[in-house]
Amino acid sequence: MDFTITKEQEELKAVVREFADKHVFPRVVEFEANQEIPPEIVKEMARLGLFGVVFPEEYEGLGLDPITAGLVLEELVRGDPECSLAVAFLVHTSWGHIACKYGSEELKEDVIKRAARGDLWIGIATTEPGAGSDLTGISVTAKKEGEGYVLTGEKAYISGVKEAKEKGTWFKDGGGHVTLAYTDKTKGHRGMTLFFIPLTDPGITVRLEKEFGRKGWSFGSFTINEVKVPEFYRIGDEGKGFYIAMEGFDHARAYIALTCAVAGKRALEIAAEYTKQRRAFGQPIAKFQGVQFQLAEHWSRLEAAHALAYKALWALKMEQEGKLNRFEVTKIAASAKLFAVEAAKAALDGAMRWMGAFAYTEENPVALAWKAVKSYDWAEGSLDIMRLIVAREVLGKEYIG
Amino acid sequence: MGLNIVVLVKPVPDPKEPPRFKPDGTLDRLAMKLALNPYDKYAVEAALQLKEAVGGTILGVSMAPPHALDALREALAMGVDEFVLLADKRLAGSDTLATSYALSMVVRKVWSNLGKLDLVLCGVESSDSNTAHIGPQIAEWLGIPGVSYVDKILEVSAEAVKVKKIIEGGSMTLLVKTPAVLSIAGTTYVPRIPTLRDVLSARRKSVTTWNIDEVGIDPARVGLLGSPTRVVRMWAAEVKRKGKVISDQDPDRLVDEFLEELRKDGISLR
Ligand SMILES: Cc1cc2nc3c(=O)[nH]c(=O)nc-3n(C[C@H](O)[C@H](O)[C@H](O)COP(=O)(O)OP(=O)(O)OC[C@H]3O[C@@H](n4cnc5c(N)ncnc54)[C@H](O)[C@@H]3O)c2cc1C
Repeated sequence: MDFTITKEQEELKAVVREFADKHVFPRVVEFEANQEIPPEIVKEMARLGLFGVVFPEEYEGLGLDPITAGLVLEELVRGDPECSLAVAFLVHTSWGHIACKYGSEELKEDVIKRAARGDLWIGIATTEPGAGSDLTGISVTAKKEGEGYVLTGEKAYISGVKEAKEKGTWFKDGGGHVTLAYTDKTKGHRGMTLFFIPLTDPGITVRLEKEFGRKGWSFGSFTINEVKVPEFYRIGDEGKGFYIAMEGFDHARAYIALTCAVAGKRALEIAAEYTKQRRAFGQPIAKFQGVQFQLAEHWSRLEAAHALAYKALWALKMEQEGKLNRFEVTKIAASAKLFAVEAAKAALDGAMRWMGAFAYTEENPVALAWKAVKSYDWAEGSLDIMRLIVAREVLGKEYIG
Repeated sequence: MGLNIVVLVKPVPDPKEPPRFKPDGTLDRLAMKLALNPYDKYAVEAALQLKEAVGGTILGVSMAPPHALDALREALAMGVDEFVLLADKRLAGSDTLATSYALSMVVRKVWSNLGKLDLVLCGVESSDSNTAHIGPQIAEWLGIPGVSYVDKILEVSAEAVKVKKIIEGGSMTLLVKTPAVLSIAGTTYVPRIPTLRDVLSARRKSVTTWNIDEVGIDPARVGLLGSPTRVVRMWAAEVKRKGKVISDQDPDRLVDEFLEELRKDGISLR
């Protein structure tokens, strides 16, 4: 067991840290106020290569492993504790990986290469107005028609819809979503298939939600009105969509666990600094043991969450090397997300408390982090679903409803 | 046109880390993480912008122990094409005179290997000693023009460069014959952040290591014994002078105003 990182990883982190310190952290409040990440920041992420970290070199990616991607993500979260950059990075990285792993050669040439260059963003669309945790309830359908498929229906609460729809503002070619649809509704889970759908298609109409937090990256629904995609935009075989999506969630959950642990730690650091400056009853509030002990408790839990997140990223790497199976990976990733979100929420609640009324303003990065982490009660699988997965893997399938 | 540019860079204790001192008050360099001298990044950036404008090759040169290479790699990641490291135990303890002599010898060797040299760029000073000696001294050793505190390289041709140099309270523009040594001040050339791919490929770029014998450096003129400087005390210099800019369209009035200023300061004029 070795937690040291290589010189190369250290150098990669240093580059992202410089970018985050100089260009990101000073502007985080602006992300929330304007409800977008300034396009030049996203373009700089693209120039740095942040949208191609895990994609293979033959498709213009950097070919790095999930642990290294995590090390890089950590710097983005430190720079942006309101987590919009993290969302942009982790959704694209996880679902781009899935599109690359299961997509056809033509899809990789067309979509992954552009994604790796940062010309095209990749999102995920499973949720619908009528189905979230239970995906058998989805209604989007895909019908085979000639050389392609025609999709119809509506997706809801989807991240990155604005950035994907508006060509040229954040990404040269906008973006598209890995979208779950029924190709055969009679077969339930086994009748679902994944497709890449460019949101720039005129048959797609986007409606934005007013987000509660992490406002820098959009969130909303889109209707799919008879959108035709070529056959090579199908990701994996017909009927395999649900299972492939579950694999994508494992990737996203591991990165989310890391995001929450780091956002929590960053917030504790900011709050700790504040408690040293702020005085009450004749001393800095950092001197009150009531504050110290809570700080220590939260820090320790986040340290554990942080380590577990890296274990999940390590598990993804081991799976790629054929050393762990799907079930083992799913279990670790679910535990990691469950634990990190809970630990981070508790820590952020404490951090906000110590910062007094100043915490309850839109200018406070700790409050922004709290709102961002809260989204992971649901996004990429609710915490109850994480509990179900862990229980299923520990007890056996036959004990789960 | 294609310029051959040498950029001199130095590893320094990472300014982002708290400094550590030895009991005698000097920096404990071995205990500290090394980084590329922040001022040198401006010189690297200037070289990159020249290369992007007119083409050419950028060769990094440093005098440093081999373990410093990791810190210097950032220059390669930024876009320096190749690197020469002068590493030799006998160089330890060199002052600026010995260092500039040794580096000038490396530049001479590089110059003769390349057949043509256009510019030697360096940072204006290093963040761990701040003497600003090296650039001008190297120019002297090589017998070529040297300009320090260069803010911007305005024009470049096959025989000359036009540069804007910062002086106290203003600036001046100079036309300088090449090859020349320019120390770049940290203002105009904001160093780029290398991409992740650049970081990865920097590890594959070629680094040549020379010792002092390979360069023909006289061992008696480097290291502690070859260094005449003895540091007695260090303190921050205070600048008490004040500058004032007088401007006027009419030269006669300008001279009058200038003389009036001098009179006010009690300088007697006949
Ligand atoms: C900020 C944000 C961004 C999002 N981005 C995306 C995106 O990009 N793409 C996408 O597809 N989706 C996205 N989502 C949607 C997210 O995936 C869903 O919210 C999530 O899957 C839960 O679905 P739901 O909201 O419909 O809740 P429901 O499924 O209706 O669940 C409601 C509650 O019931 C609980 N529950 C459900 N089933 C069980 C059970 N069997 N046992 C115990 N409790 C249960 C849940 O835990 C939850 O607390 C995003 C959500 C948010 C908040």
